[in-house]
Amino acid sequence: MIAAPPKTLPLSEIYTPATQADLAETVRAAYAARTPIYPLGGGTALSYGLAAKMPGWGLSTASLNKVVDYPARDLTITVEAGITIAELQKVLAAEGQHLPVDVAQPDVATLGGAIAVNMSGPRRYGHGTLRDYVIGITAVDGRGQEFHAGGRVVKNVAGYDFCKLLVGSLGTLAVVTQLTLKVKPVPMSAAWLAVDTTTFEQAEITLAAVAASRTTPTAVEFLAGSGWNGEADDIGGELSESAGRVLIGFEGTAAETGWITSKLQEELSGPQRMRVFAEGAASAALLARLTSFGCEASSAASPLVLKCNVRPSRLMELVAEVRKLFPSAGLLAHAANGILLVRFDGTSTIHDIAKSLLGVLQPLASKCGGQCVVWNSPAPEDLTRAVCWGPARESDVALRRVKQTFDPHGILNPGRFIY
Amino acid sequence: MIASRFPSLLAELRRLLGDDHLLANHSEMVVYECDGFTIEKNCPDVVCFPRHTADVQRIVQLCNEYDVPYLPRGAGTSLAGGCLPVGGGVLIVFTRMKAIEEINLRDRYAVVQPGVVNVWLTNALKGTGFHYAPDPSSQGACTIGGNVATNSGGPHTLKYGVTVNHVLGVEAVLTDGSVVRFGGPAEDYVGPDLVGLLVGSEGTLAVVTKVWVRLTRDPQAYRTMLGIFDSVDAATQAISEIIGQGIVPAALEMMDQGILIALEQAFQFGFPLDAQAILLIELDGLEAGLDEQRDRVVALCQAAGAREVRRADDPKERLKLWKCRKQAFGAIGRLSPSYCTQDGVVPRTKLPHIFRRITEIGETYGVRIVNVFHAGDGNIHPIVLFDERVPSQVKAALDASGEILEECIACGGSVTGEHGIGVEKIPFMAKLFTPGDLDVMARVRDAFNADGRLSPGKLLPTAAGCGAEHKPHGAAVPTVERSHPGRRAAL
Repeated sequence: MIAAPPKTLPLSEIYTPATQADLAETVRAAYAARTPIYPLGGGTALSYGLAAKMPGWGLSTASLNKVVDYPARDLTITVEAGITIAELQKVLAAEGQHLPVDVAQPDVATLGGAIAVNMSGPRRYGHGTLRDYVIGITAVDGRGQEFHAGGRVVKNVAGYDFCKLLVGSLGTLAVVTQLTLKVKPVPMSAAWLAVDTTTFEQAEITLAAVAASRTTPTAVEFLAGSGWNGEADDIGGELSESAGRVLIGFEGTAAETGWITSKLQEELSGPQRMRVFAEGAASAALLARLTSFGCEASSAASPLVLKCNVRPSRLMELVAEVRKLFPSAGLLAHAANGILLVRFDGTSTIHDIAKSLLGVLQPLASKCGGQCVVWNSPAPEDLTRAVCWGPARESDVALRRVKQTFDPHGILNPGRFIY
Repeated sequence: MIASRFPSLLAELRRLLGDDHLLANHSEMVVYECDGFTIEKNCPDVVCFPRHTADVQRIVQLCNEYDVPYLPRGAGTSLAGGCLPVGGGVLIVFTRMKAIEEINLRDRYAVVQPGVVNVWLTNALKGTGFHYAPDPSSQGACTIGGNVATNSGGPHTLKYGVTVNHVLGVEAVLTDGSVVRFGGPAEDYVGPDLVGLLVGSEGTLAVVTKVWVRLTRDPQAYRTMLGIFDSVDAATQAISEIIGQGIVPAALEMMDQGILIALEQAFQFGFPLDAQAILLIELDGLEAGLDEQRDRVVALCQAAGAREVRRADDPKERLKLWKCRKQAFGAIGRLSPSYCTQDGVVPRTKLPHIFRRITEIGETYGVRIVNVFHAGDGNIHPIVLFDERVPSQVKAALDASGEILEECIACGGSVTGEHGIGVEKIPFMAKLFTPGDLDVMARVRDAFNADGRLSPGKLLPTAAGCGAEHKPHGAAVPTVERSHPGRRAAL
């Protein structure tokens, strides 16, 4: 099922192959005809990237949703790429296991789609990202050639690691059809602690203390901005205009979470207001809310969202700049990982912010060790490459060569990324 | 062909590096004719010791100008022939690029040159509360550049992941002589994960000159145990049970009686020599949760038939135990003049099966096999003992090793968990992968390494299977000697 009809894509047909072999056959036909292919998972991230301009075929993985093999006692699972995240987690939960990677709209989003855009959420601090979980992959390249890499064992260095390469490849190198994942046991309990901060300096002191903590948080989030207005119940109380909030998530046995709670309170003791506020079901609800930030399912037009990645110690510098430039935006950072999402209100357009993005935020993000890109755009047709993906990088030349290798006719998601 | 152009190449390299950073006499280069995989040997034509990235860049440019093959080498601890100069040529040895350039605890990363020995980084971090997690058994010698090439593992990768899970970025010299940074100190750079592709590419795509690694918080506490078993079967069942119950120890190693006897002779640890197998189990994490986990592990070992589960929590005892384990291969000299070790992987539930098969295969070929496993990962290291002076024993050892790896494949596993393909396991690639898979891999190799001068004869099988190992795009056959004597020796 696709969340919304992909109006943003110029599709003449949508194919939904019943088998992986059929999918490869379709790509071979497209290769022969030099017809663009737009891979479709759950359709939740189609407004990430530049507008697709060349008419072509949609290629949906909706029918490729089977569990191929689940040897639970090996802590691995092999599934087809079109399985939804929710279905995958349901299958794993039956054995007390899970994939500890947060994906927004899990009922619709597919595993293959999550891998294409490298989805992640709060728990990436404690559990890593999808690249740390994919141990085997099957995909079809732009010639319709099916290929595999990795395998079904947790440790394996035979051959090139295409499992990693395809994470975040935005459907531009191959269409992923099947995956083998490492999985983990579900922790017994989880909880969140909130620390309100009044200045960016204070927030950085708190974040630095968490980075040096003896405890083992699985998530370290920072929230700020009026974008959070009216969400008091979900996020641990009303977040005032000028303040920021650090949310620290942790999990383990009851004894462990109990110890972490008291230890963190000791380590972070200061003038801040600190409290444990979400345990049990409330903890899961908070996690879901933070995960969906910037990817909310909504009938209204999706908002403009930026994503920045910087060294964690420079995050507050960036946050301060964003707050100054865009006082009405909502901010969420996976702070200990240096990832910042900036969500604008429904009325902001790329034209309103492009100058600040190009002139201030992209250079600043670059100075802080990373990038600033457009993560979600209601009007992809208004984006330019520089606005959407930022300045060229020295690795782009090598990347283009890799693209040429996998997709010599350039039929996979043409025009949406840098090539 | 190399020989005719060689004098002027050598003169240029000498001008670049000086006599202190270059070896060209055969007697001085003998040590570089192989790595930890000693069955195949071939001497490089010249050994260079670059001091910085610019040296590496110039060496690569010169190799291009003179059409000479080249390959990088760290400490030469590869067990698969990753550093074998198959076609001769220029060996770029990174042991003089050994600076830790930056340690940033707030942002949890360090920047190191490729010649930094793995344990140096952890030593440099002592007292900070952080460490570098990948800890191959050779960590006292192997370099981080070499770890990046082979995507090295180690005992503690069960919980913490292998090298690729801890590499944020690399700077590399590409085969066109350009210097390019991939990834860096931040996470989530957009686009395909080229860092993930380069790690584990065994030096066939680019020459890595700098690495950004992730630092990991030290665990608060450990619980280290020795599970003592009267049968290997019971020990492998216990491993399967522990993982099956969802407990992921920091490390879970198995040693059988054969290796225990050698270790005891070498280190006098006090291993019970009548035991058939010992599990070295280490839990780490928060003090608050460890006793509970330890009790579960002890109960599972006992249920599987452990004779005894000893604690080894005393820090000194723990360190000694790990020293024994990590130097296990060194102790083999007490058992046999030569050995070869394999690096197969099976699903963890198949451990009891594969161990039974290893025993049978040893009997069939009349070779003695001792075992030390990264059991928790399903990564087996059967060590086949032989005497390389006796040709029939060499053959039996190789045949037995081959059959063990075939069995790993049949179990749904792999032929290498952490040592790499190198030259040793190239024949298995066609058994693990389809022609289509190998075609895509070869195309990726060609995208980075079109002329095939970088690390020829590694990782991927030949298309034709004889002679011309790597002849991309119908280009003129590079000067790499495809049928080099060193390579022939193995075939």
